Amino acid sequence: MKPVAAAPGGRGRMALCAVVALLLAVLVQTRIEGNRRSSGVHPILYLPSGKYLRVMALGFDGLLADVLYLWSIQYYSNYDIRDRYNYLEQIYDQVITELDPHYLDPYLVGALIMTSEARQPEMALRLLDKGVARNPDQWIVAFEAGFLCYNDLHDYKRAAGYFEKALRVPGVHPLVRRLYAEMYNRAGDKRTSLKEWSEIYETSTDDYVRNVAWNHVHDLKVDVDVAELSDALARFRAREGRPPRVLQEIVAAGVLGSLPRDPEERDYLYDESSGEVRYRGSLVLGR
Amino acid sequence: MLARINAIALNTFREAIRHRILYLLLIFAVVMISFAQILSLLTVGSEEKVIKDFGLASIDLFGVLTAVFIGIGLVSREIERRTVYTLLTKPLHRFEFVLGKFAGLAITLLVNTGVMTLWFFLVLLIKGMLDGALVIAILLLFFQFLLITALAVLFSCLSTPILASVLTLALYVVGHLLWSLDLLAARLTSASGRALCRALYFVLPNLGNFDIKGEVVHGVAIGGSRVGWASLYLVLYGSAVLWTACAIFERKELQ
Repeated sequence: MKPVAAAPGGRGRMALCAVVALLLAVLVQTRIEGNRRSSGVHPILYLPSGKYLRVMALGFDGLLADVLYLWSIQYYSNYDIRDRYNYLEQIYDQVITELDPHYLDPYLVGALIMTSEARQPEMALRLLDKGVARNPDQWIVAFEAGFLCYNDLHDYKRAAGYFEKALRVPGVHPLVRRLYAEMYNRAGDKRTSLKEWSEIYETSTDDYVRNVAWNHVHDLKVDVDVAELSDALARFRAREGRPPRVLQEIVAAGVLGSLPRDPEERDYLYDESSGEVRYRGSLVLGR
Repeated sequence: MLARINAIALNTFREAIRHRILYLLLIFAVVMISFAQILSLLTVGSEEKVIKDFGLASIDLFGVLTAVFIGIGLVSREIERRTVYTLLTKPLHRFEFVLGKFAGLAITLLVNTGVMTLWFFLVLLIKGMLDGALVIAILLLFFQFLLITALAVLFSCLSTPILASVLTLALYVVGHLLWSLDLLAARLTSASGRALCRALYFVLPNLGNFDIKGEVVHGVAIGGSRVGWASLYLVLYGSAVLWTACAIFERKELQ
């Protein structure tokens, strides 16, 4: 059998056909994309749980978590997808952090999106709780949970609980200790806050931190002392049926063990007519 | 004996580096490692993790593919081309031929892994993310390649290249899923089923022993004992596979 000679210009025609076929394929693909968008089936519905993906990953679970995390960042940057927040928990809690439980960014960024954009702080706290449980050696996750409770929920007791967890981790940032102390103040437990701030003041070697701590200790001591004296005055009034003429009377009557002195080692001012106790200086932080 | 094995190994190495597939896989690996840099631009935080994950995964994936696609033809191609007859007419034992083939591919993989590692470390150096612990992860990946090579050589002695590649890849998949057998055993109520699961768990090659990518990327300290036990496992399991391959090749009728 004789070899067939190549047709003149055959290669060019084939190349042209290839280009035309490719263009047609691109057109078909755009049509498929259009159909997919109008079908109403969300692409995330095809995403299996991280538990199953982990089995399929064959040791590449870290890589798969990276790819899905990168995709999620792009996905949540697209404000055209209206129902994107419906799948937040599935993506971050059930897929990415299941694939790589020690990958911290999905906990932190996932919680940020849940709080700031989706306005679902409780969902964010569930994700961060999982992060704390899976990464007990990482203070940042508990810190983020505490900060969320402080900044968004204004639930200072809960925030203090998270900051306390973060404080148990070696190498925790010193700021956490200050926030922990401050949470008790915000929650109204000034005595505990004073104790914590005093410890910070006594143990810190950083001049700036000591200065900040001293300001808090100063104002909190005034608050605690004034509250203690006011309470003692009320008890005295209830027992004696009159206000004391001078503060020393409440000590003499056994209502209070001793009179506290202000941070500058001076006595507190007492006004018999109004029955109120005042600090003779001015508060440093002025709260 | 060692001289003869060396001679076969060097010839196998020379033959392997002429394989176009080797360069194709190497180029893919280098591109994928470099691509991680671009991908890391899309992330929020964790740039270092993305680059390290991609680098280690590329070395893992392309090393395994090299071991499988070159390993499966090592013996069967020699039989197919009938070059094995010329070799075996020389004062050469059949087991020396098999061991030489394995050693040749091991050298190829060493060079291959070395090139990928150098490129990966260059990328990390430029980004200021160089981490000595990655060497341990890559060393264990290389151990995994050696075990897969041994399996590929075994199946290459047993069957055709296509079947050998399917069997080797199947064992690669199974080797990374053995932990699920352990979970299954814990859930089974039948004692014989549990015993079967446990037996399979210990008999099949456990490639999870060589996978510390996640730990290294997350900065978890890797104890020397972990590497030591994995090395011992490779030596023992690899020897078992290679001696089986030698025994099969010894009994193989070459016509």
